[in-house]
Amino acid sequence: MSFVYGSDNAATKHENSLRNVSLAVRDGEFVFLTGPSGCGKTTILRLINGLIPQFYPGTLSGEILINGKSVSDQELYDTAGLVGTVFQNPRSQFYNVDTTGELAFSCENRGLSEADIYKRIDETVADFHIKSLMDRNIFHLSDGEKQKIACASVSVAGSEIILLDEPSANLDYEATMALREMVIRWKQQGKTIVAAEHRIAYLWDLIDRAVILRDGQIVWELSGAEKDGLSISELLEMGLRSTVQEPPTDVLLPDFAYGDEPIVLQDFRFSYRGEKREIVSIDRLKLAAGEITAVTGANGAGKTSFLNCLCGLEKRCKGIMEYKEKIYGRKERQKICFMVMQDTGNQLFTESVLEEVLISSPKSAEDAEKKATELLRQLDLDAFLDRHPQSLSGGQKQRLAIACAIASGREMLLLDEPTSGLDYAHMMETAQLLKRVQAMGITLLVVTHDSELIHACCGRKIVLKRG
Amino acid sequence: MRYCSKAAQEKRRGFIDPRTKLALVVIIALFVLGGIGGEQMEPVKTGLSALPFLLLLVERQWRRFLHGLLVLVLGYGLLLAMPYLPGVLNYIALMCGGILTRFVVTIVMGEYLIGTTSVSEFICAMEKLYMPSTITIPMSVMFRLFPTVAAEWRSIRRAMGMRGIRFGGTKAGQVVEYQMVPMMTSCVRIGEELSASALTRGLGAPVKRTNICRIGFRIQDHVLLLLCAAVIGVWILELCGVTLWWS
Repeated sequence: MSFVYGSDNAATKHENSLRNVSLAVRDGEFVFLTGPSGCGKTTILRLINGLIPQFYPGTLSGEILINGKSVSDQELYDTAGLVGTVFQNPRSQFYNVDTTGELAFSCENRGLSEADIYKRIDETVADFHIKSLMDRNIFHLSDGEKQKIACASVSVAGSEIILLDEPSANLDYEATMALREMVIRWKQQGKTIVAAEHRIAYLWDLIDRAVILRDGQIVWELSGAEKDGLSISELLEMGLRSTVQEPPTDVLLPDFAYGDEPIVLQDFRFSYRGEKREIVSIDRLKLAAGEITAVTGANGAGKTSFLNCLCGLEKRCKGIMEYKEKIYGRKERQKICFMVMQDTGNQLFTESVLEEVLISSPKSAEDAEKKATELLRQLDLDAFLDRHPQSLSGGQKQRLAIACAIASGREMLLLDEPTSGLDYAHMMETAQLLKRVQAMGITLLVVTHDSELIHACCGRKIVLKRG
Repeated sequence: MRYCSKAAQEKRRGFIDPRTKLALVVIIALFVLGGIGGEQMEPVKTGLSALPFLLLLVERQWRRFLHGLLVLVLGYGLLLAMPYLPGVLNYIALMCGGILTRFVVTIVMGEYLIGTTSVSEFICAMEKLYMPSTITIPMSVMFRLFPTVAAEWRSIRRAMGMRGIRFGGTKAGQVVEYQMVPMMTSCVRIGEELSASALTRGLGAPVKRTNICRIGFRIQDHVLLLLCAAVIGVWILELCGVTLWWS
């Protein structure tokens, strides 16, 4: 079996287009696509599952063949029987509300018999040990669990070709390792796997061939032996992430060092409405002012809830914060904390970048506009003053949100997973940015699973455990 | 113990068939909310109003049951208190009470339908009613879309609170605009990703879809459907001028 991309030119967007890419994947091979953001990894996957050109229009030249048949001329539902895809965003790839219905979905669409579907589901559930996830509401699962269901539903469909589009972007260490187990299982079953990822460590030893892309072209193709022979500096030169999978809890950093100015949190408790179990439960915690503190812990350990409480967004969290001999209740914390959320797009409201910063600036200031422009220049956003915030790239939105935080004069900046789905270069950019913000005298708390980011910029670290 | 999806589906089976639920929604919407029928229908309507609450109890949806009941009690309370209230308050009580008592029952029934029906069950029921898939598929997406939109909405409201944008402070019109912009972008994005995912999983293939859910009419469905028919029967008799009972 082979896929052949003969001189492709799929221009969905300029930055993600492919130029003259030819790739042949053998039956049962595990091919790994990587490279900087916008290099065209996802585009290749979309060509294989037929979403390009059927769903995302563009100009395509050349052809994509699976078992000698052209995917681009075939209807999507015909391709669906052969190719299964696990997408990046766990929140938007489910059609059903219940997990069992989700597993059955593609088989139901193909009109397989009921008995057959039941048999497939039972086998997959046993295979992947996900009995505890069955018959649940998908909206009540963690991201890691959702991604397990997405993988399982590809397995139930029995596709021979499995595509993974950055499936680990939102996952913590444990969930990523669980994903690795699933991939190992697929390899044993002889499935053909094509994965696109920035985080290469968790799959690096399993892959048969690594394909490194840049600007829509294949720049390196490494066989199994070749990729194992690479040194760290060679990897960095290719712009790749570390191949060592290190749990973020293993990075050695103090939670609080002698001489740090303390910010003391007391009695931070929070549980979801209707649930008894406390997801945040902190009696007393000391944070170092003026430092970058990494907040780590497994998916579902309450990291995001902790940030929400600290920001004063949870009304039912009665904790208090003490800093420079002043007590901050919930309302007061709202005024000194700023959170950069995972979905940065949801916190930008206006029609232009400049206006966005201006609504955060104190109204009385006369030269607010000048100051805002200066701030945007410092954060390399001065070229986009009139652009609509929603049209910026992910990294630019993040910088804009940080600019708003600085403009509003907040002293604490909290970031929720700022580097999920970023390549090495962009991750380092974020790290540098955080250091610059720190130099402005702002205390930073960064919730992250990214050990490399912690190494690159964090000075302190706290680990949250469930409850 | 090994997981058995067939047994699990059997266990999950709802108390009544989705088609019966739909029929009840329509009947309740017509008679209780729409207020069709004259004096003779009043006792029938009272009976119909109790039905969704009974069903919620049978399916052990305690929270929905309590919420519905609370609002209904509030509505009737207002209507009872109305004659003793002075001037303007009297009208307000009448209006609120009237709206609450009429709407709540239908909303509770709708909630029961959405809350106790899975997407698979819904599609299956629609197919048995010979609905074309061009109607069924968009409607089934609704089940999925409401919780998603609600989650996005909460996240945006939070972000606004954190940035210090509130009603009352700045111009209200602008605040609404601030909410709508990210809301629409994220809904469009999620919708697109959702369709892409559904298409790669063969939605829309021209084959007869199977459904693993268990639906079908049982004794309770027959009873409830007969009840619906009876309600319509009483109404038609009333229209024809037959007096069944004096109220």
